[in-house]
Amino acid sequence: MRRIFAQFLKELSQFQRDRLTVALAFLLPLAVLLIYGYAIRLEAKNIPLSIQDFDNSQLSRGYVERIFASQQFVPAPLLDNDPTLAIDRGIAKATLVIPPDFSRTIKDKDSVEVQVLVDGTDVNNARVIQNGIRATTQFFLRSDNLIPDRPRPQVVAEVRLWFNPGREEAFYIVPGIFGVILWVFPSMLAAIATVREKEQGTIVQIYASDLSAAEWLLGKELAYIAIGIGEALITLVVAALLFGIRIQGDPTPLLVGTIVFLAAAVAFGLFVGVRTGNQTGAVQGTAIAGFLTALLLSGFIYRIDNIPFPLSALSNVIPARYYILITRDALVRGTGWAGVGFAPLAIALIGGFFFFAATRILHRMQFSD
Amino acid sequence: MSAFSPEQTVVSPRTSAESVPAITLQNLRKSYGNLEAVKGLSVVVQPGEIFGLIGPDGAGKTTTFQILAGVMEATAGEVSVLGKPPREARLNLGYLTQKFSLYTDLSVMENLRYSAGLRRVPDAQFAKRAPYLLQQVGLEPFGDRRAGQLSGGMKQKLALCCALIANPSVLLLDEPTTGVDPVSRREFWDLLTAVAAEGVTVVAATPYLDEAERCQRIALIYGGEIQQLGSLANLRDSLGLQRLEVRAGDVATAEQALQASGAPEFVDIQTFGDRLDILVPDAAQGEQRVRDTLAQHQIPINSVRQDAPTLENVFVNRLRQQGSDPPYISFPMKHAGKPKGDIAITTQGLEKVFGTFQAVKGVDLTIRYGEIYGLLGANGAGKTTVIKMLCGLLPPTSGHIELAGETANLSRADVRSRIGYMSQKFTLYDDLTILQNLTFYCGVYGVPQRLQPEKINWVLETCGLQGREHTLTASLPGGWKQRVAFGASVMHEPDILFLDEPTSGVDPLARRQFWRLIRDFAHRGTAILVTTHYLEEAENCHNMGFMVAGEVVAQGSPSDIKGNQPGQLVEMQTTQNQAASDLLKHRLEPWRVSIFGDRLHIVLDNPDQELPTLRQWLQAEDITIHAAEPIPFSLEDAFIGIVQRANVD
Repeated sequence: MRRIFAQFLKELSQFQRDRLTVALAFLLPLAVLLIYGYAIRLEAKNIPLSIQDFDNSQLSRGYVERIFASQQFVPAPLLDNDPTLAIDRGIAKATLVIPPDFSRTIKDKDSVEVQVLVDGTDVNNARVIQNGIRATTQFFLRSDNLIPDRPRPQVVAEVRLWFNPGREEAFYIVPGIFGVILWVFPSMLAAIATVREKEQGTIVQIYASDLSAAEWLLGKELAYIAIGIGEALITLVVAALLFGIRIQGDPTPLLVGTIVFLAAAVAFGLFVGVRTGNQTGAVQGTAIAGFLTALLLSGFIYRIDNIPFPLSALSNVIPARYYILITRDALVRGTGWAGVGFAPLAIALIGGFFFFAATRILHRMQFSD
Repeated sequence: MSAFSPEQTVVSPRTSAESVPAITLQNLRKSYGNLEAVKGLSVVVQPGEIFGLIGPDGAGKTTTFQILAGVMEATAGEVSVLGKPPREARLNLGYLTQKFSLYTDLSVMENLRYSAGLRRVPDAQFAKRAPYLLQQVGLEPFGDRRAGQLSGGMKQKLALCCALIANPSVLLLDEPTTGVDPVSRREFWDLLTAVAAEGVTVVAATPYLDEAERCQRIALIYGGEIQQLGSLANLRDSLGLQRLEVRAGDVATAEQALQASGAPEFVDIQTFGDRLDILVPDAAQGEQRVRDTLAQHQIPINSVRQDAPTLENVFVNRLRQQGSDPPYISFPMKHAGKPKGDIAITTQGLEKVFGTFQAVKGVDLTIRYGEIYGLLGANGAGKTTVIKMLCGLLPPTSGHIELAGETANLSRADVRSRIGYMSQKFTLYDDLTILQNLTFYCGVYGVPQRLQPEKINWVLETCGLQGREHTLTASLPGGWKQRVAFGASVMHEPDILFLDEPTSGVDPLARRQFWRLIRDFAHRGTAILVTTHYLEEAENCHNMGFMVAGEVVAQGSPSDIKGNQPGQLVEMQTTQNQAASDLLKHRLEPWRVSIFGDRLHIVLDNPDQELPTLRQWLQAEDITIHAAEPIPFSLEDAFIGIVQRANVD
């Protein structure tokens, strides 16, 4: 235990001596937070929309106002009274056509159909526009008490994010960024620290002592968990300041989940470190594997339900997937342990596997032939 | 330096294990794939012994150390250290490698503490031992300095402290003094001797054969086998020859004349700096023959001394018998060189400041085409910085440089193509094959396609690597990499050649071959600036400068330098050289005393008056002087004097 602690101290003082590593550890995560926090927008904003209002009643004008109130759309001129011309010229992404009987049908409590012509060249955007208009319409109908509220308990929670006009998308993105940052950087630092001992030959000194692989790796593990906790705190504070994120409800799942997640990330870094022979390999291994999995297979950007089969199976062993559940719950929903109790266990299992694998590879603590 | 442990009460395991040999090797074998690095090594090392391992590059020394240290598994054979398998004995072992295994971004003290932690040294013991060890090696004032900022010699002393912190019973040293200057490496060995006097078993490999002479027994390893084993006296006697030290006007022509005579008396003729060592069966007859032969060729003789052969004589002779003398093949020159005597490099007031540290202070040099200029100095004196500035890799802080007629933009491609640079660190790509490396450098330096095969072949033949050109460079022993790197740096026939410690870690035979090539290049008109820690090699230089702390403190030809030394050098043989040296360093100024192999060199102002006093001092400690005779200064003596006197100032 003493020797593990000695490893831990040595690792920390080495870490703080190297300015580049310190910058890598604390500035890059912030850069990632800012870039992803501001750049990734699954929701489209400021989409030019032209309106052809055949009704031109108070109600239809109110409806149009409501649509533009969401910031999702900005008005674009309607050219020559032709609903498609503005789209053809690229001035508008969509045109909303309000039928002449709009207000009358609504007042009759009948269902009304508005027509939306959408520029389909950007499929993703098209869907966003379609959903956006549909959502605004729903909201409009409800808020004006034109249709009686119907209880739709489960659906509301899921749909809200997409269908709430005044919504903050950062609430959805930022918890996901946590999963990326707290996976990629701790694992990269741990991998560099491990492989550097090979490159500089200091590992020979370790081999020549009777320190076991587990002790050696544990010292590094603890040191980089500590550094990871620092990263987590800084990321959380900055996210709170910039995006107004707050911890909702019981903070313990986030606390426990974060530590377990950091441990798994560091263990993965150690595993990469003992497998590779130089720092370039270590950085590439952790960065590519980390960004790919934590971004794409974790449910951060693409919903896990949408991931096709072999990859969806793989997503089950991506710790970020479970961690994002924890962060989204802790930072948005606030339901506490009930919803995410299994997640730390899953992460610990995967992390434990990496740590075990790393000790197995090194277990002889000797040069291999 | 009487007691190495600050606390005498520590009961070390070695007292109980006195009867068990420290190290037993039985038919040790190690293969890497098809390559058999160690082929049946058997040796027993007794507790408290200083055991030396010498051999050419790639002889299997490093592999043997790695097995002894328990960091590598043997293929076959029995290994026991302190009566146990090496892995179980690891906590009682100290292991030092050629490559500093220190954490460069940790401080001196932190490195020590970490090593102590690794080896379960109790805090109380650490608190006592750490300051004590640092004081012994003179690192006390630098406890907070980062290991990366220490000079090479200091790094190795720190590494030794790290190995000693846990009070090991066995110390394994794999060429720890490679690239360490003559003063520092003597200090290093003084320490080792003190450690061994405490009962620690020391097994050391070294490329410096004078260091090996300080060992009680020496094994000469070649091709993975022990060729010879015994004390220095045994090894010398086994040779059955005597040595004549001949100093003549022109060593090179004298050697040629003696070689050409084909006289059977001259068993081996070896050049050592400014003298010839001639091994002969009978000293008197041999001397006569030498005098006759040289008289025939009208070569004046300055002096002939009869003496016992040195370890280097034995080593070189044995290896020549083995046929491992690397072939000398003259370089296929394609260009006409520059006219000799024209100025190739001049500097005036060259300065370099790193932050607050002044690395180079007002250096003035002039090097002409056809001249070999040696830049000598202790580790960290600023030699490498000077070279880097001269070849345009580092801008000087102030001062004037003229290189091949250019004064500005030394890093321009057309200037670069006229210089060759072999840096201290291997400039070869480890993950390319030898052939790929050489082809790459041919391309970089613009060697015309049609000349490439011939040049590459020359490098391969010179290095004895024909048929192995497709081996990965990483798998070559250090000394061989140096040879290939040298070849790579001269293939484009540069007019100016910078060689930064080209022979560091290279075995004696290969070093001789190196210098023959270097002389060839100079003869053709290449200006050569070279650094080395082998001072006897530096005799090959036409001119040289001694650097201490960034300044050139002495400059001139080797004979100027030696001639300017104060006092008279006396060589002594005593019953206990180490104790005598320790004592005399206290009584006299420390720079006056140094150990050369199994001899003591002492600089006295007035030997006739001072010697009797020395004799009395030593007698009081039961040390007898066998022999004492005045000898001329060698460059190594000059170096030790100059550097140590400058450090005192």
